[in-house]
Amino acid sequence: MNLEVVTANRLKDGRTVYLGESGWSENLEEARLAGSAAAAQALLALAERSVERNEVVGPYLIEVIEEGGHLVPARRRERIRAEGPTVAAGSGRQSREIV
Amino acid sequence: MYRYDQFDQRLVDERVAQFRDQVRRRIAGELSDEEFKPLRLMNGVYLQLHSYMLRVAIPYGVLSALQLRKLAHLARTYDRGYGHFTTRQNIQFHWVRLEETPDILAELAEVEMHAIQTSGNSLRNTTADQYAGVAADEIADPRVYAEIIRQWATLHPEFSFLPRKFKIAVTGGARDRAAVKTHDIGLFIRRNAAGELGFEVVVGGGQGRTPFLAKTLRKFLPEADLLSYIEAILRVYNEFGRRDNIYKARIKILVHELGIEKFAELVEAEWAATRAGALRLPEAELARIRAHFASPPYEEIAPPGASLEAERRADPAFARWLRHNTAAHVKPGYAIANISLKATGAVPGDISAGQMEALADLAERLSFGEIRVTHEQNLTLPYVKASELYTLWQALGTLGLATPNIGLASDIIACPGLDFCSLANARSIPIAQRIAERLKDVERQEAIGELRIKISGCINACGHHHVGHIGLLGVDKQGEEFYQMTLGGHAEEDASLGTIIGPAFSSADVVDAVERVVETYLGLRAPGERFIDAYRRVGAQPFKDKLYAAH
Repeated sequence: MNLEVVTANRLKDGRTVYLGESGWSENLEEARLAGSAAAAQALLALAERSVERNEVVGPYLIEVIEEGGHLVPARRRERIRAEGPTVAAGSGRQSREIV
Repeated sequence: MYRYDQFDQRLVDERVAQFRDQVRRRIAGELSDEEFKPLRLMNGVYLQLHSYMLRVAIPYGVLSALQLRKLAHLARTYDRGYGHFTTRQNIQFHWVRLEETPDILAELAEVEMHAIQTSGNSLRNTTADQYAGVAADEIADPRVYAEIIRQWATLHPEFSFLPRKFKIAVTGGARDRAAVKTHDIGLFIRRNAAGELGFEVVVGGGQGRTPFLAKTLRKFLPEADLLSYIEAILRVYNEFGRRDNIYKARIKILVHELGIEKFAELVEAEWAATRAGALRLPEAELARIRAHFASPPYEEIAPPGASLEAERRADPAFARWLRHNTAAHVKPGYAIANISLKATGAVPGDISAGQMEALADLAERLSFGEIRVTHEQNLTLPYVKASELYTLWQALGTLGLATPNIGLASDIIACPGLDFCSLANARSIPIAQRIAERLKDVERQEAIGELRIKISGCINACGHHHVGHIGLLGVDKQGEEFYQMTLGGHAEEDASLGTIIGPAFSSADVVDAVERVVETYLGLRAPGERFIDAYRRVGAQPFKDKLYAAH
């Protein structure tokens, strides 16, 4: 079973957040990990309660992997959500390459 | 330019108040996300990968210096200090907070701007030639008709729940600079044999998953019938357009499936019943709108002749900028100056708050306080004295806005792509930056000549890849970014859709592939032959041979 976490966007400001031990965090490292399908569903159920409390919108599970001692999302889309755009928008600086 | 009357202002102010209450109710939990989503979309608020995004309408791409200064203020106060111009002549702020969007909209209303109908299945911002009113080849000013359409379309109750979004573009020149044939309805201003003004109406164009160029529905529509005829088209679409399948819901699919003749029959039948009705444009109203777009108080001046020639000779960099970034003006002694937002390493269409403010100042000093946004994600100063071009160019240079590449290989259209957009499959911006970096040598670009490279990060084609001379479409192949190349697309009056050239290229290989296409073209072109003309002459095969020779 792969490791999964729950992500969503915060209602008030839209920022990418992850469900952590003490609420929602912008830091993926603080996310609660699910190592089984049952644990993942339990996390998602918890997240749905946050939706009902109008804290976040659109929660879903994403796969994470360990890379250099850090947790990072497995898929590129989620890595960009976690780390921000790979280009320095608005400032005309050169892009930062990500794998 | 057009100024709001009491009705416009009241409507926009009321909408801000309504949306403020809707946002309050959403945050308080009185509205569910399901209930709120269509309301926020009606006000241009999207939820993207990292944040909410606000898309602000810039009607037919016309901005005053005052408005641009306000956009700078909003970028700095509510966003991260920049804005992003889109292929529909709008501006997007990518980092706004939902709770602050009512304040942003209230500030926009102070300068006669809003975000109404920049999203959702509605009549979107009507776009137009950025050279409107100043092009030497213009029959009549498209802004007049775009504004009439704007007034009619704004909050139109019958057309607020169309099967899908609906985009109209108008051009008044012999050359199409507004990609008119890629729109749901396109209007080419024409004169008939009697010299009367009217339109050639084209319908059913669009890009996306199933691209079509618009087909001529009516060779000549009299000016006074503009709205009744558009209404008839929309009624036919509203009745017969598909609502069961989002991929088949645009009018282009309806026109394609019915055939243009059958579609025209339906429109004519609808129109016959309404043509003489309330939508017939009264001459007095036409004159009232036209007066808003009267020429600015030009000075009667002679073309600068010798002095400009001396500046050109003295400074080759200025000469290059003149060659590529300026265009002939209808008024003697004046020029159209284009400002490239495609500096090497920049994000296509991005502009910082500081650049916006400096440009607003320059527009006030040198262009009667007016700025235009182009669908190619650049800006235009429409009324610059030719004798002041050198001053303008020097000032733009200090702002990083004097890149002499309009229409050249590094003037790339790119959508925000996977760096921002929740619909994207692959990134667009870094590819645009890498291609621009590879081809950054201005002399080489000049030798290549006109070359339109357009990049989309998904099949929705916001980056116009179908009509790029070289089009790139980002796709996801088992987690890797790949780019499918099309060649031979073109967005102007002789528009064409590109042809897929072969298997997609990896992100690592795609810049080499673009360069190989360029080198192949340089090797086979006749003297002075543009890329698109060479491609049309020789076809895809020579390019395929070079691109896939090793495979």
